[in-house]
Amino acid sequence: MSVQPGFAPPPEEFGAVESVLHEPRAATIPLHKLAPEAALRRLELTVVRRLEGFLHGDHQGLLPGPGSEANDARMYVPGQDDVRKIDWAVTARTTVPYVRDTIADRELEIWALLDVTPSMNWGTEGVTKRDLGIAAIATIGFLSQRMGDRFGGLVMRPDQIKRYPAQSGRTALYGLLRRLLTEPIVSDHTTGPYSLAAGIQRMARTERRRGMRLVVSDFLTPGDFELDPNVEPEWERPMRQLAVRNQVLAVEVVDRHEIEFADVGDLLIRDPETNFERYVNTSDDAARERMDAATAAQRERIRIALRRAGAAHIQLRTDRDWVHDIARFVLAYRRTASMLHQPPAGVTK
Amino acid sequence: MNFDWFPTFIAPERLWVLLVVPLMIAAYIYLVLRKKKTGMRFTNTAILSRVVPKQSQWRRHLAVALSLAALVALSFAWARPNGIEMVPRERATVVLVIDISQSMQATDVKPTRLDAAKEAALAFVKALPAQYNVSIVSLSGNPNVRLPPTVDRVQAQQAINGLKLQDSTAVGESIYVALNSLLLAPKGTDSTPAPGAIVLLSDGQNTAGRAPSQAAAEAKKQNVPVYTIAYGTDNGHVDLDGKREPVPPDRTLLTNIAQATGGQAFSAESLDQLNKVYNNIRSEVGQTPTKKETTALWAGYGLAFAVVAALAAVSLGTRWP
Repeated sequence: MSVQPGFAPPPEEFGAVESVLHEPRAATIPLHKLAPEAALRRLELTVVRRLEGFLHGDHQGLLPGPGSEANDARMYVPGQDDVRKIDWAVTARTTVPYVRDTIADRELEIWALLDVTPSMNWGTEGVTKRDLGIAAIATIGFLSQRMGDRFGGLVMRPDQIKRYPAQSGRTALYGLLRRLLTEPIVSDHTTGPYSLAAGIQRMARTERRRGMRLVVSDFLTPGDFELDPNVEPEWERPMRQLAVRNQVLAVEVVDRHEIEFADVGDLLIRDPETNFERYVNTSDDAARERMDAATAAQRERIRIALRRAGAAHIQLRTDRDWVHDIARFVLAYRRTASMLHQPPAGVTK
Repeated sequence: MNFDWFPTFIAPERLWVLLVVPLMIAAYIYLVLRKKKTGMRFTNTAILSRVVPKQSQWRRHLAVALSLAALVALSFAWARPNGIEMVPRERATVVLVIDISQSMQATDVKPTRLDAAKEAALAFVKALPAQYNVSIVSLSGNPNVRLPPTVDRVQAQQAINGLKLQDSTAVGESIYVALNSLLLAPKGTDSTPAPGAIVLLSDGQNTAGRAPSQAAAEAKKQNVPVYTIAYGTDNGHVDLDGKREPVPPDRTLLTNIAQATGGQAFSAESLDQLNKVYNNIRSEVGQTPTKKETTALWAGYGLAFAVVAALAAVSLGTRWP
């Protein structure tokens, strides 16, 4: 007797949808599916702000040093300057020997703040919002794997902020991503001192070196029902402070059914963070329309607040291909980055 | 504990069906708790709470509670409950004991106590059902049957009008006389005496004869309720031989008699009150509590509960515009 091949269908995978009923128990996406590393090698994330690393890198630094970008000309100091650096055109015009300085090329340091509050453990399509955020970190991480670039992570739980130091190289990035994926899921109604605003503040305060900052969150403040874009959300002020010295990318992760309120009949709806519990008739068309309109206004407010804070804004959805969305963003970003990240008056670029 | 309100049942074994009710309550609570556990998580509830109106839950609970109440009422109806109903008496003998002692000439009740009592007694006798026997007993030191039990109202009116004042008050003795008078009542077609009742109107202290408590015990033994009326005000007085005597009614004595015999005690301080008291006594004497099957009543309760429960369920099911 030969062994019958198993024709049974593979076990049903509900994916992230179960997070609608209870908090997920583990990550909903494996490490190797986070980002296509090879495909991303040809893309480059535009860095417009000057950096202050201490290694030689591929990005424009803040201070003079060996590099490719020309800076001011200054008088030649015998014995200190290299004769080969004398700027002959300036020397001829002024009859005094001048050398041309260059700006040092520095490595880029990226810090990603990942919001893992219970509201991020939710998703109705393939992945939860938290895992989509990790995928976004992975994608942007692989985009910024130039020479010596370092990538660090901060995980914002309601009760603590975990810091994974910045390290260079793709192995280190894989290590960081694995640790983000295996980070224990925050159970519902966990209370703690940290909100998104506190997390951003913490990142601005601890990571002092200029570089790029990634804030991955759904930008929803529990209990905040404001829709007027002229009213600042709680996190806008720390966001603006962060953008003074850094190039800030805000990755807003949303689920399709946060934008289009689902029709699932009359049922109890609970909030994973607040005490909200209410029976809602989701089959009420008028109510769903109102809800969709209010959500659209809420997202518009988030967009305006991020723009006001001087951060670039990527919206990723759990039902869309995030690599595609980020690639599109990066292509458009090449043209808009220098306008987006204008530093406030009095701060060096 | 007093379970007077609780009906007795012809088929009490059918009440076991009530065990379903606690089972259903338990199932309901279990399902409600389970539903609470399996609610949907949603992140953007801050907006949701502003946009979607709050849905009250009381209608669900009301529908369930009323359905269960209907179930209880219908189970009761199925077990054929017996209720107490007041049924008018076919025939009865009422002995009217009227005080004619000297204190009845007091004028605290206008025009005098005796005249007012006569007037009220005449109205009472007139309003009694025609087939009831009436007997009149005068209460003084020497109580007398003025009229043996009879259905002739004209004689009764004459007997009442003919009452004159006499000396002394023998309450206990008058009850014995009234009991004797009941024995004179004509038998009915089935040769049993009509149920009797004594209405005792008195305005003063017992001054002569056997003890009233003894008389009350005797009345109790013969199953004759004594309805007492304490008549007159506390300020009433009479002038006898140039001396002013206060004549307040002895309310405690009369109350004791009424309680001991299963009757009721009243008090009256004017003609109006006396008429009201007589009206009360007439309805007490004229009706008898009877056991009756009240299945329809409980079925009606069940129907009422079911209608309201159905309304609640309908309002849950429909979407109001």
